[in-house]
Amino acid sequence: MKRGVGRSLGSSRPAATDPRSFRFVLIFAACLVVAFGVLLTPPVQSLDFKFSRTLVQVSQALVLACGGHATRDAAILRAPGGFAVEMRDGCNAVNVTILLWSAVLAFPASLKMKVVGLVAGSAIVQVLNILRFISLFYVGQYSMTWFDFAHAYLWESLLMLDTMVVFWLWVKRVARLGSTTDAGV
Amino acid sequence: MPAFEPQTRFLLRGSALFIGLLTLWWLVLLAPMLYGLKSAAGAFVLIEDNPSGDWTLRVPLELTLPATRQQPRARQLRSVDFDMSRSDAITFTFSLPVYWALMLAASGARRNLRGLLLGTIVMAAVELVLLLAFAEITARDGAAQLAGTEDAAGRWIRHVGVYLTVSVLPYIAPFAVAFGFHRELRRQVFPFSNTVEVSAPVYHEGRPQRRRAKNQR
Repeated sequence: MKRGVGRSLGSSRPAATDPRSFRFVLIFAACLVVAFGVLLTPPVQSLDFKFSRTLVQVSQALVLACGGHATRDAAILRAPGGFAVEMRDGCNAVNVTILLWSAVLAFPASLKMKVVGLVAGSAIVQVLNILRFISLFYVGQYSMTWFDFAHAYLWESLLMLDTMVVFWLWVKRVARLGSTTDAGV
Repeated sequence: MPAFEPQTRFLLRGSALFIGLLTLWWLVLLAPMLYGLKSAAGAFVLIEDNPSGDWTLRVPLELTLPATRQQPRARQLRSVDFDMSRSDAITFTFSLPVYWALMLAASGARRNLRGLLLGTIVMAAVELVLLLAFAEITARDGAAQLAGTEDAAGRWIRHVGVYLTVSVLPYIAPFAVAFGFHRELRRQVFPFSNTVEVSAPVYHEGRPQRRRAKNQR
Protein backbone atom coordinates (compact mmCIF):
# COMPACT_ATOMS: atom_id res chain seq x y z
CA MET A 1 0.00 0.00 0.00
CA LYS A 2 1.32 3.41 -0.96
CA ARG A 3 1.69 5.75 1.93
CA GLY A 4 1.38 9.52 2.03
CA VAL A 5 -0.81 9.82 -1.06
CA GLY A 6 -3.57 12.44 -0.75
CA ARG A 7 -7.14 11.39 -1.52
CA SER A 8 -9.56 14.21 -2.26
CA LEU A 9 -13.15 13.55 -1.29
CA GLY A 10 -14.48 16.72 -2.83
CA SER A 11 -13.75 16.42 -6.52
CA SER A 12 -17.04 14.83 -7.56
CA ARG A 13 -19.36 16.94 -5.41
CA PRO A 14 -21.81 19.29 -7.12
CA ALA A 15 -20.97 22.95 -7.68
CA ALA A 16 -22.77 25.60 -5.63
CA THR A 17 -23.62 29.15 -6.69
CA ASP A 18 -22.21 31.98 -4.60
CA PRO A 19 -24.91 33.30 -2.22
CA ARG A 20 -23.96 36.83 -3.31
CA SER A 21 -25.78 36.12 -6.61
CA PHE A 22 -29.07 35.56 -4.77
CA ARG A 23 -28.43 38.56 -2.54
CA PHE A 24 -27.79 40.69 -5.63
CA VAL A 25 -31.07 39.63 -7.25
CA LEU A 26 -33.07 40.23 -4.07
CA ILE A 27 -31.57 43.66 -3.32
CA PHE A 28 -31.82 44.69 -6.99
CA ALA A 29 -35.52 43.75 -7.17
CA ALA A 30 -36.30 45.46 -3.84
CA CYS A 31 -34.48 48.68 -4.85
CA LEU A 32 -36.30 48.66 -8.18
CA VAL A 33 -39.79 48.31 -6.72
CA VAL A 34 -39.15 50.90 -3.98
CA ALA A 35 -37.55 53.41 -6.39
CA PHE A 36 -40.34 53.17 -8.98
CA GLY A 37 -42.93 53.35 -6.22
CA VAL A 38 -41.32 56.56 -4.94
CA LEU A 39 -40.92 57.93 -8.48
CA LEU A 40 -44.67 57.68 -9.06
CA THR A 41 -45.66 59.66 -5.95
CA PRO A 42 -47.00 63.18 -6.71
CA PRO A 43 -44.13 65.16 -5.04
CA VAL A 44 -41.45 63.20 -6.91
CA GLN A 45 -43.43 63.46 -10.16
CA SER A 46 -43.30 67.22 -9.82
CA LEU A 47 -39.50 67.09 -9.37
CA ASP A 48 -39.33 64.71 -12.31
CA PHE A 49 -41.10 67.25 -14.51
CA LYS A 50 -38.69 70.02 -13.43
CA PHE A 51 -35.78 67.72 -14.24
CA SER A 52 -37.24 67.03 -17.71
CA ARG A 53 -37.59 70.77 -18.29
CA THR A 54 -33.92 71.30 -17.41
CA LEU A 55 -32.86 68.54 -19.81
CA VAL A 56 -34.90 70.10 -22.62
CA GLN A 57 -33.24 73.44 -21.84
CA VAL A 58 -29.80 71.81 -22.18
CA SER A 59 -30.88 70.06 -25.40
CA GLN A 60 -32.11 73.34 -26.89
CA ALA A 61 -28.84 75.05 -25.98
CA LEU A 62 -26.89 72.26 -27.70
CA VAL A 63 -29.07 72.41 -30.84
CA LEU A 64 -28.57 76.20 -31.04
CA ALA A 65 -24.84 75.91 -30.35
CA CYS A 66 -24.50 73.46 -33.26
CA GLY A 67 -26.28 75.85 -35.63
CA GLY A 68 -29.75 74.27 -35.47
CA HIS A 69 -33.07 75.94 -34.80
CA ALA A 70 -35.39 75.11 -31.90
CA THR A 71 -37.67 76.90 -29.48
CA ARG A 72 -38.64 75.67 -26.06
CA ASP A 73 -41.87 75.73 -24.11
CA ALA A 74 -41.44 74.11 -20.66
CA ALA A 75 -40.51 70.47 -21.46
CA ILE A 76 -41.41 70.81 -25.18
CA LEU A 77 -38.83 71.37 -27.90
CA ARG A 78 -40.25 72.84 -31.13
CA ALA A 79 -38.81 72.82 -34.64
CA PRO A 80 -39.46 75.76 -37.00
CA GLY A 81 -41.50 73.39 -39.25
CA GLY A 82 -44.08 72.80 -36.53
CA PHE A 83 -42.86 69.46 -35.18
CA ALA A 84 -42.62 69.37 -31.39
CA VAL A 85 -41.35 66.75 -28.98
CA GLU A 86 -42.12 66.69 -25.27
CA MET A 87 -39.86 65.08 -22.71
CA ARG A 88 -42.26 63.21 -20.48
CA ASP A 89 -41.91 60.75 -17.65
CA GLY A 90 -39.66 57.93 -18.85
CA CYS A 91 -38.04 60.01 -21.62
CA ASN A 92 -35.68 61.67 -19.15
CA ALA A 93 -33.73 58.42 -18.55
CA VAL A 94 -34.86 58.30 -14.94
CA ASN A 95 -36.00 54.71 -15.54
CA VAL A 96 -32.59 53.49 -16.70
CA THR A 97 -30.89 55.55 -13.99
CA ILE A 98 -33.02 53.73 -11.42
CA LEU A 99 -31.96 50.42 -12.96
CA LEU A 100 -28.31 51.42 -12.80
CA TRP A 101 -28.63 52.63 -9.20
CA SER A 102 -30.39 49.42 -8.16
CA ALA A 103 -27.65 47.31 -9.76
CA VAL A 104 -24.83 49.38 -8.21
CA LEU A 105 -26.45 49.34 -4.77
CA ALA A 106 -27.07 45.58 -4.98
CA PHE A 107 -23.51 44.77 -6.03
CA PRO A 108 -21.10 43.96 -3.20
CA ALA A 109 -18.67 46.89 -3.38
CA SER A 110 -17.21 49.46 -1.01
CA LEU A 111 -19.23 52.61 -0.26
CA LYS A 112 -16.71 54.79 -2.09
CA MET A 113 -16.96 52.70 -5.25
CA LYS A 114 -20.75 52.74 -5.05
CA VAL A 115 -20.78 56.54 -4.88
CA VAL A 116 -18.41 56.64 -7.88
CA GLY A 117 -20.70 54.21 -9.76
CA LEU A 118 -23.87 56.15 -8.96
CA VAL A 119 -22.48 59.58 -9.87
CA ALA A 120 -20.37 58.69 -12.93
CA GLY A 121 -22.93 56.18 -14.23
CA SER A 122 -25.82 58.64 -13.93
CA ALA A 123 -23.78 61.34 -15.71
CA ILE A 124 -22.96 59.01 -18.63
CA VAL A 125 -26.59 57.87 -18.93
CA GLN A 126 -27.84 61.47 -18.93
CA VAL A 127 -25.35 62.56 -21.59
CA LEU A 128 -26.46 59.65 -23.79
CA ASN A 129 -30.09 60.51 -23.16
CA ILE A 130 -29.61 64.10 -24.29
CA LEU A 131 -28.04 62.78 -27.51
CA ARG A 132 -31.05 60.47 -27.84
CA PHE A 133 -33.51 63.32 -27.33
CA ILE A 134 -31.81 65.56 -29.90
CA SER A 135 -31.63 62.72 -32.45
CA LEU A 136 -35.37 62.03 -31.92
CA PHE A 137 -36.06 65.74 -32.44
CA TYR A 138 -34.57 65.44 -35.94
CA VAL A 139 -35.97 61.95 -36.73
CA GLY A 140 -39.47 63.22 -35.88
CA GLN A 141 -39.13 66.02 -38.44
CA TYR A 142 -38.31 63.41 -41.06
CA SER A 143 -40.87 60.62 -40.33
CA MET A 144 -43.36 60.05 -37.52
CA THR A 145 -43.37 56.27 -38.11
CA TRP A 146 -39.63 56.06 -37.61
CA PHE A 147 -39.90 58.47 -34.70
CA ASP A 148 -42.31 56.06 -32.94
CA PHE A 149 -39.98 53.14 -33.61
CA ALA A 150 -36.83 54.96 -32.54
CA HIS A 151 -38.46 56.63 -29.54
CA ALA A 152 -40.25 53.72 -27.89
CA TYR A 153 -38.12 50.76 -28.89
CA LEU A 154 -34.75 51.30 -30.54
CA TRP A 155 -33.30 54.13 -28.48
CA GLU A 156 -34.85 52.80 -25.28
CA SER A 157 -33.20 49.40 -25.84
CA LEU A 158 -29.88 50.96 -26.83
CA LEU A 159 -29.94 53.05 -23.67
CA MET A 160 -30.53 49.88 -21.65
CA LEU A 161 -27.58 48.24 -23.42
CA ASP A 162 -25.37 51.26 -22.70
CA THR A 163 -26.44 51.23 -19.07
CA MET A 164 -25.57 47.54 -18.81
CA VAL A 165 -22.13 48.19 -20.29
CA VAL A 166 -21.60 51.14 -17.91
CA PHE A 167 -22.42 48.81 -15.01
CA TRP A 168 -20.12 46.12 -16.44
CA LEU A 169 -17.22 48.58 -16.70
CA TRP A 170 -17.84 49.71 -13.14
CA VAL A 171 -17.85 46.08 -11.93
CA LYS A 172 -14.56 45.53 -13.74
CA ARG A 173 -13.07 48.55 -11.98
CA VAL A 174 -14.39 47.37 -8.61
CA ALA A 175 -12.85 43.92 -9.19
CA ARG A 176 -9.54 45.44 -10.33
CA LEU A 177 -9.29 47.65 -7.26
CA GLY A 178 -10.30 44.72 -5.06
CA SER A 179 -12.97 46.75 -3.29
CA THR A 180 -15.71 44.14 -3.27
CA THR A 181 -17.46 43.37 -0.03
CA ASP A 182 -19.69 40.50 1.05
CA ALA A 183 -22.99 42.36 0.94
CA GLY A 184 -24.78 44.89 -1.21
CA VAL A 185 -26.29 48.25 -0.07
CA MET B 1 -9.51 44.00 -36.67
CA PRO B 2 -8.26 45.71 -33.49
CA ALA B 3 -8.55 43.78 -30.22
CA PHE B 4 -11.28 45.43 -28.16
CA GLU B 5 -12.11 44.97 -24.53
CA PRO B 6 -15.00 42.50 -24.02
CA GLN B 7 -17.27 45.39 -22.95
CA THR B 8 -16.51 47.44 -26.08
CA ARG B 9 -16.93 44.41 -28.32
CA PHE B 10 -20.25 43.59 -26.68
CA LEU B 11 -21.43 47.19 -26.99
CA LEU B 12 -20.52 47.46 -30.68
CA ARG B 13 -21.95 44.08 -31.65
CA GLY B 14 -24.99 44.64 -29.44
CA SER B 15 -25.75 48.06 -30.91
CA ALA B 16 -25.48 46.73 -34.49
CA LEU B 17 -27.65 43.71 -33.66
CA PHE B 18 -30.20 45.87 -31.79
CA ILE B 19 -30.56 48.13 -34.83
CA GLY B 20 -30.75 45.20 -37.27
CA LEU B 21 -33.05 42.89 -35.33
CA LEU B 22 -35.37 45.63 -34.08
CA THR B 23 -35.73 46.98 -37.63
CA LEU B 24 -36.49 43.44 -38.85
CA TRP B 25 -39.05 43.09 -36.06
CA TRP B 26 -40.66 46.47 -36.82
CA LEU B 27 -40.92 45.84 -40.57
CA VAL B 28 -41.55 42.09 -40.78
CA LEU B 29 -42.10 40.26 -37.49
CA LEU B 30 -44.40 42.65 -35.66
CA ALA B 31 -47.69 41.61 -37.30
CA PRO B 32 -47.19 37.82 -36.86
CA MET B 33 -45.94 38.34 -33.30
CA LEU B 34 -48.99 40.43 -32.40
CA TYR B 35 -51.19 37.73 -33.91
CA GLY B 36 -49.38 35.05 -31.88
CA LEU B 37 -49.62 37.08 -28.68
CA LYS B 38 -53.32 37.70 -29.23
CA SER B 39 -53.95 34.01 -29.90
CA ALA B 40 -52.02 32.92 -26.79
CA ALA B 41 -53.68 35.55 -24.55
CA GLY B 42 -57.04 34.57 -26.04
CA ALA B 43 -56.91 31.42 -23.90
CA PHE B 44 -57.27 33.62 -20.80
CA VAL B 45 -59.08 36.81 -21.88
CA LEU B 46 -61.33 37.67 -24.80
CA ILE B 47 -59.54 39.99 -27.28
CA GLU B 48 -61.17 41.64 -30.28
CA ASP B 49 -59.67 43.94 -32.89
CA ASN B 50 -61.02 47.48 -33.26
CA PRO B 51 -61.25 49.13 -36.69
CA SER B 52 -58.56 51.53 -35.44
CA GLY B 53 -56.16 48.63 -34.84
CA ASP B 54 -56.48 48.80 -31.05
CA TRP B 55 -57.57 45.80 -28.99
CA THR B 56 -60.70 45.47 -26.86
CA LEU B 57 -60.09 43.14 -23.93
CA ARG B 58 -62.76 41.43 -21.83
CA VAL B 59 -61.28 40.33 -18.52
CA PRO B 60 -63.35 37.95 -16.35
CA LEU B 61 -63.78 39.54 -12.91
CA GLU B 62 -66.42 38.56 -10.33
CA LEU B 63 -67.43 41.67 -8.39
CA THR B 64 -70.55 43.06 -6.71
CA LEU B 65 -71.09 46.79 -7.21
CA PRO B 66 -72.75 48.31 -4.15
CA ALA B 67 -76.00 50.27 -4.44
CA THR B 68 -75.63 53.99 -5.08
CA ARG B 69 -78.01 56.92 -5.52
CA GLN B 70 -77.90 56.54 -9.29
CA GLN B 71 -78.15 52.71 -9.10
CA PRO B 72 -80.33 51.83 -6.06
CA ARG B 73 -79.75 48.10 -6.57
CA ALA B 74 -76.47 46.28 -6.10
CA ARG B 75 -75.12 44.90 -9.39
CA GLN B 76 -73.13 41.78 -10.13
CA LEU B 77 -70.13 42.25 -12.41
CA ARG B 78 -68.77 39.26 -14.35
CA SER B 79 -66.21 40.91 -16.59
CA VAL B 80 -64.60 44.27 -17.39
CA ASP B 81 -64.08 45.51 -20.96
CA PHE B 82 -61.46 48.08 -21.90
CA ASP B 83 -59.54 49.24 -24.94
CA MET B 84 -55.81 48.78 -25.25
CA SER B 85 -53.89 50.88 -27.75
CA ARG B 86 -51.87 49.07 -30.43
CA SER B 87 -48.69 50.74 -29.16
CA ASP B 88 -49.28 49.23 -25.71
CA ALA B 89 -49.80 45.80 -27.28
CA ILE B 90 -46.59 46.17 -29.34
CA THR B 91 -44.64 46.65 -26.09
CA PHE B 92 -45.38 43.01 -25.24
CA THR B 93 -43.66 41.71 -28.38
CA PHE B 94 -40.44 43.70 -28.65
CA SER B 95 -38.55 41.90 -25.85
CA LEU B 96 -37.90 38.92 -28.15
CA PRO B 97 -35.68 40.68 -30.74
CA VAL B 98 -33.87 42.42 -27.86
CA TYR B 99 -33.22 39.03 -26.26
CA TRP B 100 -31.91 37.57 -29.54
CA ALA B 101 -29.63 40.56 -30.03
CA LEU B 102 -28.19 40.19 -26.52
CA MET B 103 -27.56 36.46 -26.91
CA LEU B 104 -25.89 36.92 -30.30
CA ALA B 105 -23.82 39.91 -29.15
CA ALA B 106 -22.30 37.99 -26.25
CA SER B 107 -19.22 35.91 -26.94
CA GLY B 108 -19.73 32.21 -27.71
CA ALA B 109 -23.07 32.66 -29.46
CA ARG B 110 -22.69 29.34 -31.34
CA ARG B 111 -22.16 27.44 -28.10
CA ASN B 112 -25.34 28.96 -26.69
CA LEU B 113 -27.82 28.09 -29.43
CA ARG B 114 -29.73 25.83 -27.02
CA GLY B 115 -29.97 28.71 -24.55
CA LEU B 116 -31.13 30.96 -27.37
CA LEU B 117 -33.98 28.57 -28.21
CA LEU B 118 -34.98 27.85 -24.61
CA GLY B 119 -34.72 31.54 -23.72
CA THR B 120 -36.97 32.41 -26.67
CA ILE B 121 -39.67 30.17 -25.21
CA VAL B 122 -39.20 31.67 -21.74
CA MET B 123 -39.19 35.20 -23.16
CA ALA B 124 -42.43 34.57 -25.07
CA ALA B 125 -44.01 33.21 -21.87
CA VAL B 126 -42.83 36.27 -19.91
CA GLU B 127 -44.37 38.59 -22.54
CA LEU B 128 -47.67 36.73 -22.28
CA VAL B 129 -47.61 36.90 -18.46
CA LEU B 130 -46.87 40.64 -18.60
CA LEU B 131 -49.78 41.24 -20.99
CA LEU B 132 -52.13 39.25 -18.74
CA ALA B 133 -50.86 41.11 -15.65
CA PHE B 134 -51.46 44.42 -17.42
CA ALA B 135 -54.99 43.30 -18.36
CA GLU B 136 -55.77 42.15 -14.82
CA ILE B 137 -54.49 45.35 -13.16
CA THR B 138 -56.30 47.58 -15.66
CA ALA B 139 -59.54 45.60 -15.21
CA ARG B 140 -59.30 45.89 -11.41
CA ASP B 141 -58.63 49.61 -11.76
CA GLY B 142 -61.76 49.96 -13.91
CA ALA B 143 -63.79 47.88 -11.46
CA ALA B 144 -62.64 50.03 -8.53
CA GLN B 145 -63.73 53.16 -10.42
CA LEU B 146 -67.13 51.61 -11.20
CA ALA B 147 -67.61 50.51 -7.60
CA GLY B 148 -66.54 53.92 -6.32
CA THR B 149 -64.23 52.18 -3.84
CA GLU B 150 -60.91 53.44 -5.12
CA ASP B 151 -58.68 54.81 -2.39
CA ALA B 152 -55.49 56.77 -2.99
CA ALA B 153 -53.21 53.93 -1.87
CA GLY B 154 -54.97 51.36 -4.03
CA ARG B 155 -54.90 53.65 -7.03
CA TRP B 156 -51.17 54.31 -6.51
CA ILE B 157 -50.40 50.58 -6.21
CA ARG B 158 -52.28 49.85 -9.45
CA HIS B 159 -50.52 52.77 -11.15
CA VAL B 160 -47.12 51.39 -10.09
CA GLY B 161 -48.21 47.92 -11.28
CA VAL B 162 -49.21 49.17 -14.74
CA TYR B 163 -46.05 51.28 -14.99
CA LEU B 164 -43.84 48.29 -14.15
CA THR B 165 -45.62 45.93 -16.57
CA VAL B 166 -45.61 48.37 -19.51
CA SER B 167 -42.63 50.68 -19.04
CA VAL B 168 -40.07 48.73 -17.02
CA LEU B 169 -40.32 44.94 -17.11
CA PRO B 170 -40.54 44.50 -20.93
CA TYR B 171 -37.21 46.36 -21.12
CA ILE B 172 -35.50 44.49 -18.25
CA ALA B 173 -36.83 41.00 -18.99
CA PRO B 174 -34.63 40.28 -22.06
CA PHE B 175 -31.51 41.18 -20.05
CA ALA B 176 -32.58 39.03 -17.10
CA VAL B 177 -33.39 36.05 -19.35
CA ALA B 178 -30.12 36.51 -21.28
CA PHE B 179 -28.16 36.45 -18.00
CA GLY B 180 -30.09 33.34 -17.03
CA PHE B 181 -29.31 31.41 -20.22
CA HIS B 182 -25.87 32.76 -21.20
CA ARG B 183 -23.47 31.53 -18.56
CA GLU B 184 -20.39 33.23 -20.05
CA LEU B 185 -22.11 36.61 -20.18
CA ARG B 186 -23.28 36.19 -16.60
CA ARG B 187 -19.78 35.24 -15.45
CA GLN B 188 -18.25 38.19 -17.24
CA VAL B 189 -20.64 40.80 -15.88
CA PHE B 190 -21.07 39.31 -12.41
CA PRO B 191 -17.70 37.84 -11.37
CA PHE B 192 -19.21 36.41 -8.20
CA SER B 193 -21.69 34.28 -10.17
CA ASN B 194 -18.92 31.81 -11.09
CA THR B 195 -19.81 28.47 -9.58
CA VAL B 196 -17.80 27.51 -6.54
CA GLU B 197 -16.56 23.97 -6.31
CA VAL B 198 -17.51 22.56 -2.93
CA SER B 199 -14.36 21.00 -1.61
CA ALA B 200 -14.21 18.71 1.33
CA PRO B 201 -11.12 18.35 3.53
CA VAL B 202 -8.32 16.27 2.07
CA TYR B 203 -7.35 13.30 4.19
CA HIS B 204 -3.83 11.93 4.07
CA GLU B 205 -2.63 8.56 5.12
CA GLY B 206 0.79 7.65 6.42
CA ARG B 207 3.42 10.05 7.64
CA PRO B 208 1.40 13.22 8.18
CA GLN B 209 -0.95 11.32 10.50
CA ARG B 210 1.96 9.82 12.40
CA ARG B 211 3.51 13.24 12.78
CA ARG B 212 0.23 14.58 14.15
CA ALA B 213 0.07 11.63 16.57
CA LYS B 214 3.62 12.41 17.71
CA ASN B 215 2.72 16.02 18.32
CA GLN B 216 -0.33 15.04 20.35
CA ARG B 217 1.80 12.92 22.55
